Amino acid sequence: MYTQSITRTHRTAFILLIDGSGSMSERIHYGGCAMTKSEAVTEITNGLLFELIERARRNDGIRDYYDIAVLGYSGDDEVYSLLPGGRTMIPVTELAALEPRMVRRTIECLQPDGNIALREVSTPVWVEAEAAGQTPMCEALRQARDLAAAWCAHPAHAESFPPTIFNITDGEATDCTDDDLIATSEQIKALGTADGAVLLVNIHITADETSRTVFFPSEEETNLPNRYASTLFHCASIMPEVFDDAIREIKGPGAIPPFRGMSYNASADELIAMLNIGSISVKTE
Amino acid sequence: MAATLQLFTRALQTPDLSFRTLSEARAITDARGLPRLMRTTRFAEAEIEWHGKHWLLALPLSPAVLFAVERQLLQIGRLRTEWLAECRLLRDELSWVGPTGAPQRCDLVLQLLPDGTDLDGALGKEHSERLLGALDALQRELRRLNLSHGNLRRDNLRWSGSRFIPIRYYDLRFGMPERDDEAFDTLREEILRQGGGAEVSDVEAPYDTPCRWSGHRWTSNLFEGLVCVEDETGYGYVDAENRPVIAPQYLWAGDFHEGRAEVQTAQGMGLIDREGRYIIPPEYEIVAYVPAESISRVRQNGRWALFDYLGRRITPFVEDGERLGVWEEA
Repeated sequence: MYTQSITRTHRTAFILLIDGSGSMSERIHYGGCAMTKSEAVTEITNGLLFELIERARRNDGIRDYYDIAVLGYSGDDEVYSLLPGGRTMIPVTELAALEPRMVRRTIECLQPDGNIALREVSTPVWVEAEAAGQTPMCEALRQARDLAAAWCAHPAHAESFPPTIFNITDGEATDCTDDDLIATSEQIKALGTADGAVLLVNIHITADETSRTVFFPSEEETNLPNRYASTLFHCASIMPEVFDDAIREIKGPGAIPPFRGMSYNASADELIAMLNIGSISVKTE
Repeated sequence: MAATLQLFTRALQTPDLSFRTLSEARAITDARGLPRLMRTTRFAEAEIEWHGKHWLLALPLSPAVLFAVERQLLQIGRLRTEWLAECRLLRDELSWVGPTGAPQRCDLVLQLLPDGTDLDGALGKEHSERLLGALDALQRELRRLNLSHGNLRRDNLRWSGSRFIPIRYYDLRFGMPERDDEAFDTLREEILRQGGGAEVSDVEAPYDTPCRWSGHRWTSNLFEGLVCVEDETGYGYVDAENRPVIAPQYLWAGDFHEGRAEVQTAQGMGLIDREGRYIIPPEYEIVAYVPAESISRVRQNGRWALFDYLGRRITPFVEDGERLGVWEEA
């Protein structure tokens, strides 16, 4: 399970859910920098898109290894596509063909001696998060569920690596109870292909004064700082064993699986680096 | 651990804070101002300027891909030839803070891009006969060195001075230069087709690759009666009649020389005999067997030692591999 290489004949899908609610205007520290939650979400989202596009690149151009959907949720219980033309799901080649807006951003780099150095870097921006209105997370998850179900039902995808859903949020759903959220998540995780169940990864951005980060926590790390984080932990997929070694390599040898597909004030694009995209063997080119 | 491509791109924009050796490097950027990334299946590459020269800097997409490459780089670093470009492993070159806040490091591969042009550039200014002669000369030299490039195509050749220099040594192997024959023929056809300066031969010689060891994902050639093969469950060995001898079980395996073959397992590299018994247990970072000397150069925790033919350690592990004749990057 979860061993299918991601190729043009065995594509996969990524669905990104972006919280754009009013609470995302709150200022936080993310990656060592002061910014709003929506800026952090924008950075995480575009980082994931950059990783997905570049992982699909070969010398002859971008290859269609996966389909991508980006749904925003905010406003008056609205869920909407953030892709051009409002299209729900597009192949990665189409996304790569778009001209992203380039921004120059000042980043803080932690040096070995503990000092912070400032540097300007260029970053492409395909989508931008909003910060207005409610947090219809449950409806967003339902739409992601329906998208994943339709994608998995396609005969061409029957043996593919299953879709991965990244839900990037500050965790305060306004359209449901915690039980509703968990129930919808369970429906998502019950979907899948012959290679495994759909993976639901929650990326939780909060105003945590301790600058604490959590990355793919295990059951021993359930002392999460708030109720929202705890709910998102229970909603997230238990990561398949095939990822255990790679996650432990990041967390340290003392980390004990199983791990949950969740990060707290940290991105999760390392997960994409763990996937076997485009290669059939360590040895063949 | 492997870095993300986003992190690699950011490091290329902040070399003084991200690289150990290449702190003064400058990445070649595209029209958007982003470092221009190139990809092979196993590496992401960027062209950089460093110390007045152009280089390819390669990020492994998985730590496992370095196991095979590292050993080959060790060996080609010992060759005395002007037909290969400098290529070395930079250990712990890229550093960053991981998602848990812990410092992380990974190795990178640095490859000199010889002055000159690519094959397209050469076709535009050189006569076909000269280019074909240079290809012949390269093929002769690789045969003399007893190695094959393994992925010789137009993107992996530089026209420098009056010779072709191959680059990207990720598939390079010692002991089977004929593995490049088909690639050389393809390159000759491309030069004849596009060069325009020479007569095109009307003799078509069908290239016939006998597939004697079918049913495998990948096969090497026959060495000492055994063929290294890759199946779904890993690397193993079959005999000349394609009968299993050592079951596929390794993450990577090399060809047999003098009854010894290097193998990679999840626990580390080791050395086996023809029955698959471990002569050196698979617990080391690198095991490089040297048939000419009947010894193995072995690395553990960054320190090197020599082992004899029977797998007995004959020197202590030392920091400075050069003392043992082990090639290390400068």
